[in-house]
Amino acid sequence: MVGIVIANVSKRFGQTVAVDGVSLRIERGELFFLLGPSGCGKTTILRMVAGFCEPDEGEILFDDRPMGAVPAHRRNTALVFQNYALWPHMNVAANVAYGLEERKVPKGDRTRLVARALERVRMGELAHRMPNELSGGQQQRVALARALVIEPDAVLLDEPLSNLDAQLRLEMRHEIRRIHDETGITMLYVTHDQKEALSMADRVAVMSIGRVEQIGDPRSIYRTPANRFVASFIGETNLIAGTLVSVEGEYGCVRTALGEFRARLGSALTTPGSKVECMVRPECLHLGQGGDNAFRATLASSVYLGEVEQLVVEAGGLELRAVTANPSASAPGGGATVDVHFASDDAIVLPAQSEGGSR
Amino acid sequence: MRRSTIIVVAVVLAFLGAFLVYPMVYVFRAAFFPGGEFSLAFFSNIAANPVTRYAIGNSFLLATVSTLLTAALAIPLAFVSVRYRFPAKGILGGLLLVPMIMPPFVGAIGMRQFLARFGSLNILLMNAGIISSRVDWLGASRFWGVVIMEVLHLYPIMYLNVAAALANVDPTLEEAAVNMGSSGWRLFRRITLPLMLPGLFAGSVIVFIWAFTDLGTPLVFEYRRVIPVQIFDRVTELSDNPEGYALVVVVLALTLITFIAGKRMFGMKGFETLGKGGAAATEKSPGPLGKLLIVGFILGVVGLACLPHLAVVLTSLSDKWFMTVLPESYTLDYYHAALGHKLTFDGIRNSIFFSSMSTVVDVLLGVAIAYVLVRRRFLGSDLLDALVMLPLAVPGLVLAFGYVAAFSPTFLNPRENPVPLLVAAYAIRRLPYMVRAAYAGFQQINVTLEEAAVNLGSSTLRSLRRVTLPLISANLIGGGILAFAFAMLEVSDSLVLAMKERFFPITKAIYQLLGRIGDGPYIASALGVWAMVFLALSLMTAGVLLGRRMGQLFRV
Repeated sequence: MVGIVIANVSKRFGQTVAVDGVSLRIERGELFFLLGPSGCGKTTILRMVAGFCEPDEGEILFDDRPMGAVPAHRRNTALVFQNYALWPHMNVAANVAYGLEERKVPKGDRTRLVARALERVRMGELAHRMPNELSGGQQQRVALARALVIEPDAVLLDEPLSNLDAQLRLEMRHEIRRIHDETGITMLYVTHDQKEALSMADRVAVMSIGRVEQIGDPRSIYRTPANRFVASFIGETNLIAGTLVSVEGEYGCVRTALGEFRARLGSALTTPGSKVECMVRPECLHLGQGGDNAFRATLASSVYLGEVEQLVVEAGGLELRAVTANPSASAPGGGATVDVHFASDDAIVLPAQSEGGSR
Repeated sequence: MRRSTIIVVAVVLAFLGAFLVYPMVYVFRAAFFPGGEFSLAFFSNIAANPVTRYAIGNSFLLATVSTLLTAALAIPLAFVSVRYRFPAKGILGGLLLVPMIMPPFVGAIGMRQFLARFGSLNILLMNAGIISSRVDWLGASRFWGVVIMEVLHLYPIMYLNVAAALANVDPTLEEAAVNMGSSGWRLFRRITLPLMLPGLFAGSVIVFIWAFTDLGTPLVFEYRRVIPVQIFDRVTELSDNPEGYALVVVVLALTLITFIAGKRMFGMKGFETLGKGGAAATEKSPGPLGKLLIVGFILGVVGLACLPHLAVVLTSLSDKWFMTVLPESYTLDYYHAALGHKLTFDGIRNSIFFSSMSTVVDVLLGVAIAYVLVRRRFLGSDLLDALVMLPLAVPGLVLAFGYVAAFSPTFLNPRENPVPLLVAAYAIRRLPYMVRAAYAGFQQINVTLEEAAVNLGSSTLRSLRRVTLPLISANLIGGGILAFAFAMLEVSDSLVLAMKERFFPITKAIYQLLGRIGDGPYIASALGVWAMVFLALSLMTAGVLLGRRMGQLFRV
């Protein structure tokens, strides 16, 4: 097992900069996520780690070994492809055994290891099926077994769940996390699905057009996004423009069209008078009186979804989204005036120009 | 089933029944039921006769060796052209297909000059010190002479099939293997090669059947110990020696056995049914030395493959050519002679007439069949599909033999007037290509375009004529030109069916001229050059019209 260091790596394809000076450090045994919209360079990073393309600048290290001169077939990583890439002319067992054969593992051990790997992904009974006789979820499990059986230094997963239906995707999230915890292997996981990243990751790097916007554990990137891009890419969000009035420790006071709000300071924002935005998640906006920050608004619309109710309120020319959990009583009719409040700890002050991604 | 579908199916079944199934059934009946009683007498005759026994084994060997060598040449060609970027790639890719513009037996005429005991090759090799005594390429080593001709003519078909299969291999399948620790030869042998086997198999079947049943090349090399020549000899004496029937059955049986055995061995599975995705295959850019090697390799193959063509051109131009590498002096006389000669003039006129007729039949039937197959799937449409593709597996020689046998006692007797049978033979042989071209066209055109026209008041036939046919016209014209060009090239059925000089098509005229003492071979070569130019122009036109789709017509 290795830790992976990506040191100031850039990659261009023609005129397009796919990866722009990215530095990451993935610890041994970590389940690390690269999260971003399509075209942000996350798959390119994964392919550079696997050795399928070379960085134009910077380098990739496994622990402290530079990988520049090591060809793809000697890197001992195991890549799980988005389309699984099972060899259609080999049965399940042969697919899984392939990597062991390349590593000259004796036949007896091979059979045992293959059986164990297939057991681990609960595919033991289908060892003699051909890949085209398997469902998508089963193919996914075989691909995982093929990757795990060689005891790689790191497992690289390229949007592994994107071809599965919603139910199966949920199931496989738990499955991959379980396998990670059982084996303790280093995993680098690429996805555009924020739920996948939040629910599975030890740490997440959020990317936009070739750059890393923020690295952190799921809670911190959700609760304390570093900029507007991260805030709006992960989950829904409300942004209220304003001016920073004063700073008290970790909190700042922001003057907005809806009134003065107290909120946590996101990054090193200390200059009163600067343009800022106050970010509040919909589930942190509550109807009724109370809280540190409150304002009056008009209820524009509401959608009842069973476990939650989505509301849109208007105040100071802004449309804000709110979500109430466990909606028992029916919401007041459209056009009603409502009181809205939120806690200072649930809101965060972001620099106004911090678009992120469009720098 | 709609009435129009029934009409189309009935016409197609009647045509194929009369000109494909009936002659085959007739041959089988004559072989197994001579005089109305079941008997294997002819087969035991064949088995007892050392000449035919040898010919069967020899033909089988010839076809096998030709197929293996063709594959050995085509696989690296396909690999470099699919996987690497190099200068003039488009032009070189086109040049690789040049050998298709001439039947190998015409090239063989020129090669006789090159390969003769005192011919260019021996002189060159001896001057270079590679051989010390003259090799009798056309005598004791004729086997290899024929093999070389077949390989040089047939590798493009293999190349097209293999290249297509290779291009269809999902690149992530190879990446997955590299990721698991494979590289180089092992990667190719364990992953890439098995995945391109379907294409390799498809190409091999065509090449094998072609080499196994080619009549023209062994005839020109006067290599009689092959089964097509044995059958050809027996056509003329059918009435008193019915062994020919049994030989034809043997050829068909061996063709089928090879086909089925190959299919079993390679375990054909629909590999392409698996989902595609991930990165598109990228062409690698080799270093300057690599580029030089690739271009050199392709130019070498093209050069070799053009040798027969070059030999034909040289022969047609040579005034005196004996004991030297190149002719001593040149003349254009044979071109005048070729165009003025009664045999050649009639040959060209006949060929154009027969081929035009067969092309019209092919286009009409092909469009109708493809339309029913694509738009009106019905119970048994798979069967129709298979029947229409059957001519690919029935050698022209076998078909022609069946015609002579089955239709001699009727008003279609080829001894009197072979024109209807020649047209039918040409049409049947090229029908699969036309159906495929039209089929591809119909598949590309979304059915809603037709439905929109019908919805606005067109009848089905009118919507077809106003909307669909114009949209697929490039496919149809391209397919038609190919059908026409290859009908002009038909060798074995022309040689067998055209018995009176009046009805000789070009290929038979060339063969006849070849046998004349004196200027015969030179005039034959000149005529061959005219045919080559004509075919090259046809193929180029078809290529422009069909674009990249042209290669698909030669794939199975």
